[in-house]
Amino acid sequence: MGLTVPYVTSYLSEHFADDAYATLDGYRARGGYEAAQQALRTSPEDLIELVKESGLQGRGGAGFSTGLKWSFMPTDGGKPKYLVCNADESEPGSFKDRILLERAPHKVLEGILIGAWATGSEKTFIYVRGEYAFPARQLQRAVDEAYAAGILGAKVLGSDFAHDVVIMRGAGAYICGEETGLLESLEGRKGQPRKKPPFPAQYGAFGMPSTVNNVETFCHVPHIVANGSEWFRGFGTEKSPGTTIFGVSGHVVRPGLYELPLGTPLEEIVFEHAQGVPNGRTVKGVIPGGMSMPILPASQLDVPMANEHLRERKTMLGTGGVMVMDETTCMVRAGCVITYFFRDESCGQCTQCREGTGWLHKIMERIERGAGTPDDLDILLDVAGKMEGQTICAFADAAAWPVQGLMRHFREDFEEHVRQRKCPFPESFEL
Amino acid sequence: MVISEDTRAAIEREIGKYPQRRGALLPALHLVQQEHGFVSPDSMRELAGIFELLPVEVMEVVHFYNMFHDRPRGRHQVHVCTNLPCSLRGARGLMRQLESHLGIHAGETTADGRISLGHEECLGACAYAPMLRIGETYHENLDAEQAKRLLDGLE
Amino acid sequence: MASIRVDDHELEVEEGRTLLQALDDAGLLMNGVDVPHYCWHPKLAIDGSCRLCQVEIEGFPKLQIACNTPVKDGMVVRTQTEAVRRAREGVMELLLINHPLDCPICDQAGECKLQDYAFEYGVGQSRTREPRRALKKSVDLGPTIVFDQERCILCRRCVRFCREVPKTGELGVFNRGDQSVIETFPGSELDNPYSMNVADICPVGALTTKDFRFKIRVWFLEDVPGVCTGCAAGCNVWLGTANNKVYRYVPRRNDAVNETWICDHGRMTYQQIGSADRIAHPALRGEDGILRAASLDDALAEAAARLRRVLDATGPGALGVVASPHASNEDLAVLRSLVDALAVEGAALAVRQGDSDEILVQAEKAANATGARALGFGDPAALLERLRGGALEALLVLGHDLLDPALLGEGDALDGVGSVILLDSHHSPLERAAHVVLPTRHAAEKFGTLTNHAGRVQRVRPAVEPAWAAWSEGELLARLGAALGLPDFDGKFDPRAVSRALGERAPAFDGVDWDSVGDEGLPLKQGGA
Ligand SMILES: Cc1cc2nc3c(=O)[nH]c(=O)nc-3n(C[C@H](O)[C@H](O)[C@H](O)COP(=O)(O)O)c2cc1C
Ligand code: SF4
Ligand code: SF4
Ligand code: SF4
Ligand code: FES
Ligand code: FES
Repeated sequence: MGLTVPYVTSYLSEHFADDAYATLDGYRARGGYEAAQQALRTSPEDLIELVKESGLQGRGGAGFSTGLKWSFMPTDGGKPKYLVCNADESEPGSFKDRILLERAPHKVLEGILIGAWATGSEKTFIYVRGEYAFPARQLQRAVDEAYAAGILGAKVLGSDFAHDVVIMRGAGAYICGEETGLLESLEGRKGQPRKKPPFPAQYGAFGMPSTVNNVETFCHVPHIVANGSEWFRGFGTEKSPGTTIFGVSGHVVRPGLYELPLGTPLEEIVFEHAQGVPNGRTVKGVIPGGMSMPILPASQLDVPMANEHLRERKTMLGTGGVMVMDETTCMVRAGCVITYFFRDESCGQCTQCREGTGWLHKIMERIERGAGTPDDLDILLDVAGKMEGQTICAFADAAAWPVQGLMRHFREDFEEHVRQRKCPFPESFEL
Repeated sequence: MVISEDTRAAIEREIGKYPQRRGALLPALHLVQQEHGFVSPDSMRELAGIFELLPVEVMEVVHFYNMFHDRPRGRHQVHVCTNLPCSLRGARGLMRQLESHLGIHAGETTADGRISLGHEECLGACAYAPMLRIGETYHENLDAEQAKRLLDGLE
Repeated sequence: MASIRVDDHELEVEEGRTLLQALDDAGLLMNGVDVPHYCWHPKLAIDGSCRLCQVEIEGFPKLQIACNTPVKDGMVVRTQTEAVRRAREGVMELLLINHPLDCPICDQAGECKLQDYAFEYGVGQSRTREPRRALKKSVDLGPTIVFDQERCILCRRCVRFCREVPKTGELGVFNRGDQSVIETFPGSELDNPYSMNVADICPVGALTTKDFRFKIRVWFLEDVPGVCTGCAAGCNVWLGTANNKVYRYVPRRNDAVNETWICDHGRMTYQQIGSADRIAHPALRGEDGILRAASLDDALAEAAARLRRVLDATGPGALGVVASPHASNEDLAVLRSLVDALAVEGAALAVRQGDSDEILVQAEKAANATGARALGFGDPAALLERLRGGALEALLVLGHDLLDPALLGEGDALDGVGSVILLDSHHSPLERAAHVVLPTRHAAEKFGTLTNHAGRVQRVRPAVEPAWAAWSEGELLARLGAALGLPDFDGKFDPRAVSRALGERAPAFDGVDWDSVGDEGLPLKQGGA
């Protein structure tokens, strides 16, 4: 039970090998909650400014500036405000939030406390994906400890600041990771993302001003508070500071977690850290940031893993879930698995997403079966184009992009299927 | 009344955590499913009463989430992750072996009601593939023989 | 107020409205500015899911949905650009991939927004080769509605309607993604007093009323504007007519009256128009006590003779007059003249009462009770007392609302009355006591105005011509007046002229006549009713 600790660690994960780090005592022994103490002595405005200066970008996938997001919260003191911690981690290829919840639940709580003080929130809802039973238990234990120790509750760490934390478990729906789908789910509804406006900072959880941040995003915050924004900017690139915990999966010798600075070249992650492809095979393609992100071919692994560089290659960092596929891999099969996932998980509100995800999957399957025609390839791209940028949430884009990526770099795989009327990759992973 | 007093009390405690009653609907559905193994239409009607909702609204929620079921299932729920990282590492082969071992297809329950087998999307264990989940417990880095033994060990 | 520009139109818009609302307020939506839409409905909460209404707005990098974008001062909107065209085409093609191509057998053909928009904004045909989604056909949703799941485009209008208007919430969307389907809770039905509205708002042929299904192709119908006569709400309807027959009522939007809804009961009252229990000819009771068909002239002569006898022998105090709340303001104006000319006092109004609700339905089960009161027909209590006390020798009755249990009931109270002249459209037990029966027209068969419970004067016009002998009350009474030899009665009745003159008789009607009220009606003048 529980994940193997990262093979490469940095400030987030350096103590993960220590089981006690998940307990209050162990966490405090390593300096835990000192940053929160310090934050409570700092004004919310200065804290937000600090986080802005640090350049911290959300680690939930969209990469939005955390400090800026916090500054959207109204300060007129009218309504109760809430913080929401997004622990729905369901992006295929991602398992970094899980290790943080399992190994450092108090770090998550400390980041939350600092964010709560900065945004003036009275309560945080932590939404943990339903399948994460063990991580949720670890987190619940930490919350109980924190209440008992006066770290949560009416007088946070002896101050006059009051803060409560509620853990809610999801029930199996990827779309509840999208922040407004999450809010709907939190309110006991289907996790169907909300149309915007209004935005969560005005009308969030239970209609109150709210800010949603990812688990890992919160975890960086105590380190920024303790060490300053300059220190934080010492990791990563100028535009993408800090580390992240990359999850590497697929055809590599050593799949697992690696905490590395943003901007680390993809090839370093794949070949040095994850030790390359087993069985003497070569890489065919790598999905760099969770399944929603377009794939890169072997020729482009030099790319530094930061959005400013990845965007030039028409992909994104996403959640840092690196999926490696070796030379045997049939990219049409990969397309089948990917489009099935999005078909299965679409919430079904928007026409383009509900109908488009199904259509993409059906075409993929037909091509894989050898029943594809040349114009199917264009239809795939056309349908993906029709889904992009048109819907309530970014799910439809997330469903379209990987298809566009596959067609951009592996169109021959599709053409071969059509030409040979069968799958030309007998050694590929099974479907 | 199909929902027990204990579960009702636990639901009321959950309700106390949220600014609006309805916030506790998912926790309540988890509790009811824990008690009965599934959420029957009768339970949905009672939950609708507790949450001041229409039964159809409760049903919509039950149907939306993969983890809620509106009919009885096997005593043990075995879910094999078949998403891409797991598939790259043999999850589909594992699934096929388990299907023939149990004599059922994914989505079915063994005749003795012991095991329901299903496929599942990524469970956040991609580096430890193939893997499966039995109830709330993850089993990772499996080969087919280990997986079969695991299933054989289920009551 | 915000000033915005949409294509070539400059609009002044109330702050806080969304673009579609603003266009709708200005009467431009699909009527000058084409922004096709499925999930948006002017009277339901905004859903924002069909994504068909996307438009280009200056300053936004992506297209925006017009239904949920609030207007801002200075906003510049374009609805007919290449990007917009492509977006619409995309939605249309994606909707069609799973839509059964059964238009030829679909009852909605002719008023299907999928068919219409596919023609206008689509690619003609979907390129899909995949099998279409197979779902349930002809699901019996309840007493009034049949559902074809395959045709549903999941706009969720029906779901929102049930939650927001009757607040019964029978429908839900189950499952998710492309498995989503509309259903009811197991064992329960779509059954509420407004259920059939879902068929009107369903943009496709997924929800149809059992009543109208397969009766006639909609393109054979001519829609005539009219008013429901089921109660005092006066809901605006379209009368769907063909072959001189009314096939259905559907709501006609009037934000001041019924928004876009009608109740199920009212919707079905179209059946009263051509029903088998219409009184189809004048009748006279013979010496033998049997009611027999007669010519109008004979019936009128007999009615006049009977009235004259009582007036001459005992005087107007022995004559009771009961006005009908189903008759038009114009009909009742003639009755008023007659009553005044005969110096009859205490002419009353009888209105049948029933259930009411908070939505539309009014307790008074007739369309013009308010108009009748505005013309001076009052509470029937005194008249009933005189009747029961045997003080009345003759009674001129319009309609049979007197049978309401709170009034006469179905008792024999009229048996003692020597002469009962009945003007009515439908058979009723009241005929047992009648000596002369004169058949009247339904509101769907005449020109006239009706005043609803809130004092709004609304007009009707002939949508069909009765295939039998029937006259409006106004005409019958004008002729009766002439037969009685009253001055100012020339036996002629011109409802529109009477309408124009109404204001002279009752100031509340000043300027609210048939021509000026238009098809949306106008309120009575203040202090009138
Ligand atoms: C389809 C979809 C799924 C998402 N899933 C997750 C998720 O599982 N976890 C997460 O933190 N963010 C997820 N996001 C991003 C969230 O919407 C949101 O941007 C994020 O939680 C904000 O936190 P951050 O700014 O700290 O990254 C998802 C977004 C989309 C469109
Ligand atoms: S894009 Fe897809 S997932 Fe997002 S709201 Fe629309 S239908 Fe739901
Ligand atoms: S049945 Fe009609 S109104 Fe209801 S969701 Fe489907 S298409 Fe829309
Ligand atoms: S509320 Fe009254 S007027 Fe309106 S439709 Fe119903 S019966 Fe007719
Ligand atoms: S793909 Fe199986 S756990 Fe992620
Ligand atoms: S009408 Fe605007 S999204 Fe449907």
